[in-house]
Parts: sequence; structure tokens; C-alpha cells
Amino acid sequence: MNQAGISEEEIAAIYPKVAATMADALGCDLEKMNPGARLIDDLGAESIDFLDIVFRLERTFKVKIPRGKIIEEARGDLSEADFEKSGILTEAGLVRLKSFLSEIPADRFKTPLKVSEIPRLFTVETFCKMVLRQQRAAGTAGGPAPA
Amino acid sequence: MSPHFQAFSFVDHIDSGQPGVDITGRYTVPAAVSEFSASLVAEAVGQLAAWSIMSAKSFARRPLAGIAGRIELLAGVRPGQILDLAAEIESLDDVAVVYRGAASADGIPVIRLYHCIGPMMASEQFDDPLALQERFELLSGSGTAVGGFSDLPYFLLEVRRHVHGQSLVADFQVPDEAPFFMDHFPRRPVFPGSLLMNQSLDLAELLAADIPAPALDEKWVATRVEDVKLRTFIPPGESLELEAQLTELEEYALTVVVETRRTGRITGSAQISLSSRRR
Repeated sequence: MNQAGISEEEIAAIYPKVAATMADALGCDLEKMNPGARLIDDLGAESIDFLDIVFRLERTFKVKIPRGKIIEEARGDLSEADFEKSGILTEAGLVRLKSFLSEIPADRFKTPLKVSEIPRLFTVETFCKMVLRQQRAAGTAGGPAPA
Repeated sequence: MSPHFQAFSFVDHIDSGQPGVDITGRYTVPAAVSEFSASLVAEAVGQLAAWSIMSAKSFARRPLAGIAGRIELLAGVRPGQILDLAAEIESLDDVAVVYRGAASADGIPVIRLYHCIGPMMASEQFDDPLALQERFELLSGSGTAVGGFSDLPYFLLEVRRHVHGQSLVADFQVPDEAPFFMDHFPRRPVFPGSLLMNQSLDLAELLAADIPAPALDEKWVATRVEDVKLRTFIPPGESLELEAQLTELEEYALTVVVETRRTGRITGSAQISLSSRRR
């Protein structure tokens, strides 16, 4: 169980559908996907791909994913000023982010870390967790919507 | 005459609408142009949607071309025809917009766009926000004179590799200069996604011509484009490679996927369905 209270089993259950959706959006082979694959550095995602992935996940899982939600949720109850200053994460912000993105190895969090560089950290598993959180919020946890 | 709001602008009047919700408008295709492609009709619908979106964001943010889930190409448009344009905004925030739209000419539907997603950017990077606001007010009031657009330059697709009936690879050199760059956009010239889609349609039809149509008096015509995606800005002077691959072949329908690459990376993609139609 990680920081968000999401179990590995829950992630494993939705991973195949998330991976297939993301592979479609990125136009890459499903074989290239793995939970730890970084969207930008490993899968070649551009910023428009993030929008595409989010909209496709919304349709696949019938959840609403507000844009910028990951960073907003990572910040949690920290104020914006406590989370970042002039676009750079504060020490407290970095601790919060590492905890929130617990699926990402610690050595990938460079310091100082710009807020604009956070998406570079995101992996396929990050999006699995995002879908699970939104499903929980909507009370629809339990996998993709029926076709 | 300044090319701004002329060389690549396809709305002459905004008829009605609520900012960020819906909008209707018109565009008269200049009688003097030799053709007005389906891609330009799609551009006109997108530009109309953009006016609604920009006005909802007080012209501080604007949408750019990103993704089109599905575009149905229903009929051609002749020079001199008046396009009736409409768009509905499905969702809008500071990051992205989702909209759908349609165009008809003389009461006949010519195009429908579904699930179009545009990233939202700061308008001032591309244009003068005040000029955009003034233009919106003009379009919403008296409208503008017809005829600002003239024919596009000829874009050569140089076929480099051809596997009959299977695939085509062509080089495409984006021009260094063209009037449309001064309108799209004045502060940051970008090759329009609609023109890239046009090149993709041309290449798909070229590949489809390898395959005999079901009847002698028929030919393959693009009727639907899906999963259109423009992943990066294409600046003037860029060298691109387009690759078309036949992915499905049925008696009366073909599917061709076209990918555009820049230095090996995919810049754009589209899945094009073609149907047999009388010549």
C-alpha cells in the first residue's frame, strides 16, 4: 500500500487498460509500455499527448480528470507559496511530491526541481494511480467502464 | 493590404453565440480562388470556435490545433459559396478546450468535426490580444469584406519511396515564407495543422489510387479522418517526411494511416478512411 492508500493489486487490475489507452494515444507498441516507463523520456510524449491521454482515460474509465490535477493533488493542503517559489519547488514541496509520486525512484527527483519539470517524472503507473483516485472520488472504483 | 486577418482567416461574420458555449458564423469563399479544400473548411470551423473561446477568456488565452477525434468530409465547396459555420464548446479551462463543429454550404452539410481538443496558450505569444478583441467586435458587428484570402502556394510532396498499394513516403518542405505565416500567427509563424492535414489527405489519395476502385467510373475519395493529432509546432522552413500506409482494405473502403515526422520524431498523424465515389 503506498502513500495514497492504493494497493499494488488495484494498480495491477487497471494497468492493462491504462497501458493500452496510453499506447493508443502515443502511437507506440503496447510492448514498449511498462508501469515504470516515463512518458516523456521513455515514450516520447509531447505536451499534447498528456491532454490526449487524459481525455482518452476519461472516456475509457468514465471519470472526470481535471487538467493539472496531479500537481494540485500532490500539493494537498500545502499552500501554493509553501509548495513552490518562483516556479521552483520548496523543500517542503519536494518532500510532498516525492511522497505523492511514491512510484517514482527517489533519484529521479533532481534539485532544484522546477514545477514545469514535474510532468517529466510521470510514469504509466502515475496515470494508473490518477485514474484510481478519480474512481474513488466518483465512487466507481473497480475497473474500466463496460464497452 | 496587411495579411493579418486576411491571408489565413476564414470567418467574415459572427452571427450569434454565447462566449465559451456556442457560436455561429459565416464565411464567403472568394470567387477568385481556384479551390477551397475540405481542410480549409475544417480550419474555418476551428477559427469560429476559437473566437468563442478567446472571447470567453477575454482574449488573454487562445486555443491552438491539437487533436481532432473525427472529421467527416461530406461534400466539396465551390469558390463563391457561403459557408454557414457552427461550433459548440464542450469543455473549456485554461489548459484545454474540447469542441465540435460543422459547416454547410447552400444548406448542404459539408463537414462535421467531433471531439476536437486544443491546448490553450497565452494569446500574446501569437498575436496582439487587443487586435484580436477589435477583430472579434468587428466580426460580431458589421462583419468584414469578402475576399481577403487568395490561393495558397503550391506545396510539393516529393515521393521518395513507393511500395505499390502498400505505402508511400514523401518529403515535404515547409516554405520559408508565405503570406499565411503573417496571419498564422503574426508574432509566431506556424505552419497550420489544417494544411498538414491537407498534405496527408493528398498522400492518402495518391496511395489509394494504386488500388482499383470497385467500378471503372469510380475513384477513392477521403470521407473521414480520425485521430488527427498535431504534436509540435511546425515553423517555416521545416523539412518533413510523410509516410502513408494502407492498413485496411475492403471492397468499398480503404483506411490509410499517415504519419508526419521531423528528424525522425512523429510530428503529426491521422487515420484516413476512403470510399469509392463516382468520378
